[in-house]
Amino acid sequence: MPSPDFPSLAPPQPAAAGDFLALLARQALAGHPVPEVHGPLPPQTEATTILAFKFKGGILVAGDRRATAGNVVVYDRADKVLEIDRHSLMAIAGVPATAWEMARTLGHSFQFYRRSQLQEMSLEGKVRALSRLLRENVGLVMQGIGVVVPIFATFDLQANLPRLYFYDAMGAEFEATDFAASGSGSPAVRAILYYANTYGPRPLARLNEEDALLVALRALDTAAENDTATGSVDRHGRVYPVIKIVNATGIVTLPDRLLAKAYQRNLASLPKHTPKFADLE
Amino acid sequence: MIEEPYRWVEAIQNRREYIDHQLAAGSAIIALSCREGVLILTLGRDRQKLFEIYDRIAMGGIGHPGDIERLRMMALEVTSTEGFTRSPQDVSLRRLVSYSLSPALKTAFEQVYGPPYLVRLLFAEVGRGGEADLLVALNHDGSFETNGGTFSREVEPFAVISGSAAVTRQMEAYLRERSPSASAELDAARELALETWLAGNLALGEESPTPENIRQRREEVLRHSTVEAALLERNPRVAAAAYRVLPG
Repeated sequence: MPSPDFPSLAPPQPAAAGDFLALLARQALAGHPVPEVHGPLPPQTEATTILAFKFKGGILVAGDRRATAGNVVVYDRADKVLEIDRHSLMAIAGVPATAWEMARTLGHSFQFYRRSQLQEMSLEGKVRALSRLLRENVGLVMQGIGVVVPIFATFDLQANLPRLYFYDAMGAEFEATDFAASGSGSPAVRAILYYANTYGPRPLARLNEEDALLVALRALDTAAENDTATGSVDRHGRVYPVIKIVNATGIVTLPDRLLAKAYQRNLASLPKHTPKFADLE
Repeated sequence: MIEEPYRWVEAIQNRREYIDHQLAAGSAIIALSCREGVLILTLGRDRQKLFEIYDRIAMGGIGHPGDIERLRMMALEVTSTEGFTRSPQDVSLRRLVSYSLSPALKTAFEQVYGPPYLVRLLFAEVGRGGEADLLVALNHDGSFETNGGTFSREVEPFAVISGSAAVTRQMEAYLRERSPSASAELDAARELALETWLAGNLALGEESPTPENIRQRREEVLRHSTVEAALLERNPRVAAAAYRVLPG
């Protein structure tokens, strides 16, 4: 544990009050030099397919478990839906090396602000904090490495409303009204969520938890069918997607046995419409 | 002054008296282990005196608000940086106090040309996985006392700071007589902490802490002061959210 000398005991400048990144910079613990990249890039580990949508019980955020590098599966138990504070979730698509570090930095920034300033950071402050981390990462993005495209889901306790944001790699923030998806499997997921929201029995915002879970599982299953970089459910290894729900009371992680039951009942045991060649004749 | 050691000793002595005088009016703070976690309690009129430091660490302070604030920031910065660069599991109160705060306070206290810190701090760390809670009373000169658990001393489930050493001893004696258990319920701990505060308040006027005196003093004091209490939860649902302000 560092033992700071007296000069560092001087009160921080107002602009830096409660700013964890400024503290790291002061202690020379922040910032990574951007390496010069020449020639072809080595294959990078990437995480894929995350989705989030608002439903009756808050916001459901889900992610598959696969991390890939090129066409190699690096890891099949990656957790891409991360708890940042009591009411905020960040789901990550992109390079985990950068993304997990971003999530860690973000979590500590909110905590440090809350503890030092004796108040919770505002919703807008939190949303911008992630934007700032992404902007600081642009150097790596321009080199073709370290791209991160996250989703941020949080519950606004003041307005008593769920709020959902997605970002681009440069740090632009967009607020989603109903749903958001990111990662290589996201085109399929976005189409499914749009379809379910518009033409489904009822809009996503009015689904109960059971139905919302079903939509999420089916969307991820479809993404895995279309995209090799998205992992599907591995029932032998008991690897299920990570699904979390955020609402006014906090964050709940849906337990694997619940996912297993829902998967068994609504995906695995359903007769899939498998056209036979004979039918086509 | 450097070439005249006796004047330095005298200066230190004067400084100690000056600080003790400044701290004398401070409202006592009590930390008490209970089944739900560690309770910290004090009474006051306006300013906040109990603070969250890190996942399992809380602090209470009496003295000059500016000095309390500077040391609070130092504790926050040290623990937050450690928790970020290593892991929240690596942050410990023992290291925070003995490697960071105590040396800094001692240096400030002995540099007789610079201002000392007018503070007395109480730190609490809720034990991990069945371990005993660590409670530390840190003085303005960097010296500190823990609630035991080392060498020959048994762990005591309480710690106290107050405006004067004599009152602190009497409050500790009051608590010791009632031999509180670390597995008591929160409500019982809260009641005992409040009674101990009142016993300390009575001791200031050299009155004895009889049940009747305590009841009477309680009515008088609560007319113009409020209870400030916080709990460090033993089994929080979220590790970073163990600190909980209790309603007054």
